[in-house]
Amino acid sequence: MNAIILSAIFGVVLMMASAFVSNRSLYKTIALACLVLLVGANIAETLGYSFFTIDTHNMLAFNKMGLFFNTICFTATLLYVFISSSEIERVDNYTAEYFALIFFSLCGIAILTSFNNLLMMFLGIEIMSIPLYILTGSDKRNLKSNEAALKYFLMGSFSTGILLLGIAFIYGATGSFGLESIKVGTLQMQLSILEVTGCILLLIAFAFKVSAAPFHFWTPDVYDGAPSVFTSFMASIIKVAGFYAFVKLFESRIETTSFATNPAVGVNWHLLFAILIIATLFVGNITAVFQQSVKRMLAYSSIAQAGFMLFALFSVNAFSKEGLYLYAAGYCLATIGIFAVLVRMKDYTFEGFNGLAKHEPTLAFATTVCLLSLAGIPLTVGFFAKYFMLAAVVKQGYAWLAIVGVLFAGVSIYYYFRVIAAMYFKSADENPAAVATSSTVKIGLAVVVAGIIILGVWPHALLNFLYF
Amino acid sequence: MYLVPLFPLLGAIISGLFRNQLSKTAAGIIASGAIAASFVVSFLLFFQVKSGGAIAVTPLFTFIKTSAFTIDFAFQVDQLSALFLLIITGIGFLIHLYSTAYMHEEEPHHFARYFSYLNLFVFSMLLLVMGANYVIMFIGWEGVGLCSYLLIGYWFKNTNYTAAAKKAFIMNRIGDMGFLLAVFYILQKVGSANYATVFAFDGFSSTDVTTICILLFVGAMGKSAQLPLYTWLPDAMAGPTPVSALIHAATMVTAGIYMIARSNVLYSASEIAQHLVAIVGLATALFSATIALKQNDIKKVLAYSTVSQLGYMFLGLGVGAYTGAVFHVMTHAFFKALLFLGAGSVIHAMHHEQDIRNMGGLKKHLPITHITFLLGCIAIAGVPPFSGFFSKDEILAAAYAHNPIYWGLGVAGAAMTAFYMFRLYATTFLGSFRGTQQQLSHLHESPISMTLPLMVLALLSVVGGFLNVPEVLHGNAALHHFLSPVLTSESKHSLSHSTEYILMGSSVAIATLALIFAINKFSKNPELGEATGLGKTLANKWYVDEAYDAAIVKPLNSVSLLFKNFVEKGIDGLVNGSGKLVQYSSRQVRLVQNGQVGSYILYMVLSMVILFLLWWNQPILTKFIQKIF
Amino acid sequence: MGTTQLLFWLLSALSIFSAMMVLISKNPVHSVLWLVLVFFTISGHYILLNAQFLFIVNLIVYAGAIMVLFLFVIMLMNLNKDAEPQKSIWMKLAGAISGGSLLLIFVSVVRSASEMQSKQALLKTGNIGLIDQLGKTLFSEYVIPFEISSVLFLSAMVGAVAIGKKH
Repeated sequence: MNAIILSAIFGVVLMMASAFVSNRSLYKTIALACLVLLVGANIAETLGYSFFTIDTHNMLAFNKMGLFFNTICFTATLLYVFISSSEIERVDNYTAEYFALIFFSLCGIAILTSFNNLLMMFLGIEIMSIPLYILTGSDKRNLKSNEAALKYFLMGSFSTGILLLGIAFIYGATGSFGLESIKVGTLQMQLSILEVTGCILLLIAFAFKVSAAPFHFWTPDVYDGAPSVFTSFMASIIKVAGFYAFVKLFESRIETTSFATNPAVGVNWHLLFAILIIATLFVGNITAVFQQSVKRMLAYSSIAQAGFMLFALFSVNAFSKEGLYLYAAGYCLATIGIFAVLVRMKDYTFEGFNGLAKHEPTLAFATTVCLLSLAGIPLTVGFFAKYFMLAAVVKQGYAWLAIVGVLFAGVSIYYYFRVIAAMYFKSADENPAAVATSSTVKIGLAVVVAGIIILGVWPHALLNFLYF
Repeated sequence: MYLVPLFPLLGAIISGLFRNQLSKTAAGIIASGAIAASFVVSFLLFFQVKSGGAIAVTPLFTFIKTSAFTIDFAFQVDQLSALFLLIITGIGFLIHLYSTAYMHEEEPHHFARYFSYLNLFVFSMLLLVMGANYVIMFIGWEGVGLCSYLLIGYWFKNTNYTAAAKKAFIMNRIGDMGFLLAVFYILQKVGSANYATVFAFDGFSSTDVTTICILLFVGAMGKSAQLPLYTWLPDAMAGPTPVSALIHAATMVTAGIYMIARSNVLYSASEIAQHLVAIVGLATALFSATIALKQNDIKKVLAYSTVSQLGYMFLGLGVGAYTGAVFHVMTHAFFKALLFLGAGSVIHAMHHEQDIRNMGGLKKHLPITHITFLLGCIAIAGVPPFSGFFSKDEILAAAYAHNPIYWGLGVAGAAMTAFYMFRLYATTFLGSFRGTQQQLSHLHESPISMTLPLMVLALLSVVGGFLNVPEVLHGNAALHHFLSPVLTSESKHSLSHSTEYILMGSSVAIATLALIFAINKFSKNPELGEATGLGKTLANKWYVDEAYDAAIVKPLNSVSLLFKNFVEKGIDGLVNGSGKLVQYSSRQVRLVQNGQVGSYILYMVLSMVILFLLWWNQPILTKFIQKIF
Repeated sequence: MGTTQLLFWLLSALSIFSAMMVLISKNPVHSVLWLVLVFFTISGHYILLNAQFLFIVNLIVYAGAIMVLFLFVIMLMNLNKDAEPQKSIWMKLAGAISGGSLLLIFVSVVRSASEMQSKQALLKTGNIGLIDQLGKTLFSEYVIPFEISSVLFLSAMVGAVAIGKKH
């Protein structure tokens, strides 16, 4: 509850700051301070100090797992704001509003990690998404940004429609919005086909939110069109939060609606998930190979990474749970890091990265570490993230799916290494490829790189928190 | 114990981070010193193992901990890894020393970068052999792959070189996939990756063992350049020559051998996997030997010869002669490092000329290189009592005990080895100089820091074989006894002494014949028609030469060409083709993304319909899928 | 067939027809007007379900406020028939077919659901849609979502300002 209420209040604080604080450079200081407080408050709640006691009528349930996920997301946001605040200021005049929107999005995330009710889940998803539509279109004078925002909004509304239809079907079948109440009910009651249909609709809506194929079409256009600094936020923190909610929702229902428990109308979830996973991995990896723009390549790579995160859904077990946390942390770090470099480039094509290692060795090194992590090379956290996901699938007895995953991870090396090759092995043009980097950014990137490597060597630095 | 990998790691970090500050001398001293230090520690460890048996597994910290299993970051030094430690750090040190002179033309910060990579490589390799479980081994395994990528592409301004680096990395990754899956499989079945636990585990079915072994072997095929994943190794010669010596001859490529020797308990339990290993090894040995016959690039010949020798090691592993294979790793490390460094010395003297047709007569200009190179050639040809003889003979004897056909093919390969090595030797060092006048005036013997490693390695190549003189020659098979606690499942062949003598004699005789023939043929200068040396006095040998040419050399040449032009291209094509397929489909799939919201929604609605149809038809589908798999 | 049932069928037919007209009509202003009619017919259904409060809210908010806003925007942007992008006939056909199949799927799901066959709509008797009932539920059981949705609206408002304000 701390996180939900405080993030909403901080959003209002920043909104007010825009009216009452005239010094624009103060906004980011306020935002950073608020984020630090937010992380602190969330950790306090994890340790048992809740500042608010509110009867939630069992609509929200706070547990350590969810709160810990909050901590990961908030800390990643802190890092993100620390690195990119100067870029956020450069987008347009409404810096304080953008920070406010980011806080509202975080409020949505805090709801998504604690919902116990489909209604709250819906609210969480919308609170998380609506600020994003606006952030996408924040570069008002850029036609691409406007187009992306409109596309995102239209298709987002479509998926919201699907989500609501799914919730309505489930409500129609069970008469309840609860996550858990159905579980009890189905033991006596026969599973309704309506509920199963609702679940599939929810699957589709969430597949849209986390950009899993074949519901990924918005992702490349939106990620490409949005201001890079906000693409970074969308592709990292928002995405993993979406996955957490996805897994949380299906954890509660996957068994009762499965084919094994109810042969009459149940779903063979493994079949559907496997098809989604393979389609996502295929589309993401294969299309990324042929991109000319690094930003667009990263958009497809984020689809491909979504394919790997979907493994957590496929095999709901202890392994995949740990894997999801690791993936969330690792993927956020790497994405924030790489976008922090990308926004400083003058030219987003692969050629634009030529010779970066010579002009800006620090940036090039950080990019390399991030890309290696995304590709899943050992000694980076990306390796363990993928490892846990694949191991979880193998544990479920689907080794062939793990093989498919590994094959596509192999393809991904191609396009990630294209960037590395451009930076290190190609000669640069005469003028430097990137704008000057402040020491703040360098400190931030150092934290990112350190995080990736520390977790890559010792993943339990993170996972041990799950068991305290 | 942890000091052994710690020194190279520190060396890599220091020379990597301070590459702009360090002078060349300082970088060289730090890097070489780090390896020297870990060599000393390895030496102490070796004697500790030799006197007191294996040192128990030493966990440093808990690496991965999940509900299902725990993996410690643990080291294990036993007889096998102690031996590899000595090889890696010993030869690594010599190569570092050599590099300080070989790379002296580089700019200081590139120089330091080179040594940083080299140290990192040694660190990864040590991790690979010292790990007490498959996961640590895998980290080292990936680390050496990465370092090899960095080092092959060291001269990154040349796109061919970077392409070679990429090829090596990708081929290795294909193999790594097999390894990774094997590790998953083991974890899934055993719940632990520790060697001790895995080898003692008795819950494997025979299919399990075979699957694991074959998957591991796929990993070994990539790293140790076996058919069909070998093509990266010849290309990898793009890197600096000392790198070729260290990585692509002496250490990294033997990682596959180490892994299989380490898992000997598993392999001995699966006959199918053993057969596969033996056949692939033998096929590789023969195949690459034929290619080596026709190469004119001094490093390419050595590269194909490496692939061929690795094939022998796998043959040894496949027939259960684990000690023989490890023994061959060791002797091969000596003489192949020697040959590569010798070749490097030649290239250095010739100002980066690598074509042997433009050399010749280097004998008098590079006396030390010449002598040591000759010793290396004799060793690899398997002439007693040089080291190559003992190790190759042990593998061949075991192969004979397994299947005489293996032996026959193995000897044929050995004859080819002798032939092409001495073709190389004769064309390079004998005859008269064929290069430009300018090159001639610059010919010089290399500095002491390059010749010293050559001499040390030459000495080792000569006497290295005495470490394991077989019983049949009244030796005590010292290495055999030393390794026996680790290689528990070694199969003992029971050949009578007389059979062994015959085998030895015939293989030596055939190899020697090939050797003499090669010297005879190639010490003449074919381009200028000058007949010198033996060829002049034995004029009537022309007929024999012709017959020989027509009956053996020509067909072999054409087979060699055929392999090079078609089979190798075919394999290359297959590998490249899958890459092309990815690119092609990428171009097509991209078109779906046309930017129209309307069509996106249409695709999504269609996908929804398909998902629902899938749900309704799932019984049929699952039945269908079960039928396929 | 009583009056209620007659009304139900009439309203349903009208709402489906006008919804289709929203899509079919070329002129955006006509589309909006048809949409207003859709909202009216839906509101009629609320009356049948004895939900007067929802009826009036639906009319005021959707048919009244939102649709008028739409009309203004369309008129201000001066959209007319020519401005509509031309789609190929194949796209339209494909859209109709895939959308139609999805509709078929939903209809067949609802029809095959066993519990739906025995259920009867509560006409004229329910009290859920009445204002006091709604208020009590909203402020007791559903108070958390009710309050939290304010964050949603707040963020939408902040966004609207940030997007719409001139420099």
